[in-house]
Amino acid sequence: MQTETIRQLPEYAALTRARKKIMWPLSLAVIVAYFALILAIAFEPALLGTPIGNGVTSIGMVLGLGIILFCMVITGIYVYYANRVLEPLTQAIVKKAGGKV
Amino acid sequence: MKYNAPLALILSAMATCAWAQATGEKSVNTIAIAMFLAFVAVTLGITYWAARRTKTTSDFYAAGGGITGFQNGLAIAGDYMSAASFLGIAGLVYTSGFDGLIYAIGFLVGWPIVLLLIAEPLRNLGKYTFADVASFRLQQKPIRILAASGSLVTVTFYLIAQMVGAGKLIELLFGLPYEAAVIIVGVLMTLYVTFGGMLATTWVQLIKAILLLSGASLMAILVMAQFGFSFESLFSEAVKVHAKADAIMAPGTLVSDPISAISLGIALMFGTAGLPHILMRFFTVKDAVQARRSVFYATGFIGYFYILTFIIGFGAIILLLKNPDYFTDGALIGGANMAAIHLSHALGGDVLLGFISAVAFATILAVVSGLTLAGSSAISHDLYATLVLKGNRDEKKEIRASQIATVCLGVIAVLLGIVFEKQNVAFMVGLAFCVAASANFPILLLSMYWRKLTTRGAVIGGGLGLFTAVILVVLGPTVWVDAFGFTEAIFPYKYPAIFSVSIAFIGIWFFSITDKSAAAASEQAAFDAQFVRSQTGIGAAEASQH
Repeated sequence: MQTETIRQLPEYAALTRARKKIMWPLSLAVIVAYFALILAIAFEPALLGTPIGNGVTSIGMVLGLGIILFCMVITGIYVYYANRVLEPLTQAIVKKAGGKV
Repeated sequence: MKYNAPLALILSAMATCAWAQATGEKSVNTIAIAMFLAFVAVTLGITYWAARRTKTTSDFYAAGGGITGFQNGLAIAGDYMSAASFLGIAGLVYTSGFDGLIYAIGFLVGWPIVLLLIAEPLRNLGKYTFADVASFRLQQKPIRILAASGSLVTVTFYLIAQMVGAGKLIELLFGLPYEAAVIIVGVLMTLYVTFGGMLATTWVQLIKAILLLSGASLMAILVMAQFGFSFESLFSEAVKVHAKADAIMAPGTLVSDPISAISLGIALMFGTAGLPHILMRFFTVKDAVQARRSVFYATGFIGYFYILTFIIGFGAIILLLKNPDYFTDGALIGGANMAAIHLSHALGGDVLLGFISAVAFATILAVVSGLTLAGSSAISHDLYATLVLKGNRDEKKEIRASQIATVCLGVIAVLLGIVFEKQNVAFMVGLAFCVAASANFPILLLSMYWRKLTTRGAVIGGGLGLFTAVILVVLGPTVWVDAFGFTEAIFPYKYPAIFSVSIAFIGIWFFSITDKSAAAASEQAAFDAQFVRSQTGIGAAEASQH
């Protein structure tokens, strides 16, 4: 009964849409980045070992450390978006539904 | 080499080690033991304090829901950063450079997935364990039995690996007999969990995480200071002194064939999202907002920690390889996994060595405590309360059951630790991740997002995933050849996740869509209400008031 009322709210439709819009692309970005590296390790190890410029630092090192930073950035983007976009919508729904319980 | 190689290295290396004698037992012992005793005194004091506040099941399982997102993020990092990953990854970087980074990345990439797909719905739907979520709209009894089995299998494998590693490490660092070391770890973790529940366990994790992060930061800063904080200078110096020269900048032999590589990736990425002791931590915070914040901080701390470990491994290459004091017969004393420990001595003498040794011990204690709490919760909350107490919820009885389960798990962990002393238990961490990815993760994910999931699908598919993961590891090279001593493995790959995870998802899908029972129809109809709660938090379990 209450479920149906909430599901009819425009804010609820906006919330699920906004969440889908961020959740799947970011998940996919992490999965693609990681498995691209894993496949490169399996098939093209020499490429990853190629030094950048005249130094000794290899492409693989930069990509590897880059993925660690990428994971942190992804979580940061999501939390920023969730606090700015998802949270106000959630609060609006909770208010219209008459509280959390 | 296998993907759980860091632990294998730690274990095998430690078994034959004569490190304590060689570097001067006295100096190690006094500083390390003093610091360790201080840690034990503080944590037991916290346990006493926590015990007085632990009255309800919510206190016991979830610290009353009163942990903040930041604290929980740090505690999650504490649960996740084990001594095996600190010493093992540093050791692997020391041995083969880039390969160590592959592990570090694998252990981190699961975290954005936990944040994006799992954390908030988990907090909104569950109360104390992930089985609460899986059984939200399905039949309580079969789902809780399955989820508890998945949890207990994961926890047991993880616990054996940690106990054996702990015994060996403490034997080495403090000169204690192996059995005594295992018993001390078992007794302390049982005390923390039995009396202090989640509140004490959380604070043990927090202190350990702060100690480990500061110790590792200090070491990494001391290393980088010698190279003007330039990675290029660090790498070029390492390439100059390492026997493998510039090969340490490229992937080595760690992951070779594509099947193993992908399987490893799947197990690490999705296993993280199925570890019961990690999932349980999300119920210690007030709401989904704090759950989200927890993962953000946890990912930051864990990622930062792996970068430090990576620097420490390179520091060890440069500072240890030039110094014959750390070698005996051309090999690093105590094996590659002692690289981080030796490096602490090279950087800061006996004081830093004592500190890092004590931190390693604290790390082990914190990790086994978290595991034990997750195991005892599965027994008391999912099995005992649902199967024995049924509808008659009785908080006192449930807490009592959990405490008894904790003591039993403590005894079992000590016994298994002693039984497996001489065995290569390295495959068990891999198995724990594989089971978590093959049984816990698919059930949890599909129960949250897939309307058509039914009890039959979850039980058969999840059961198949659990069973396949265990069987394929046993028939694979790690157990069949390395542990049982057969010449050829029946199943050719070391990492079965690509098969077992697929079987779980296909099994759940097939046995759900072909389920035409009336119960299935009502379970599917209940999805909308569950989804509304998972998205909005309306009706979610609140923090208890103190």
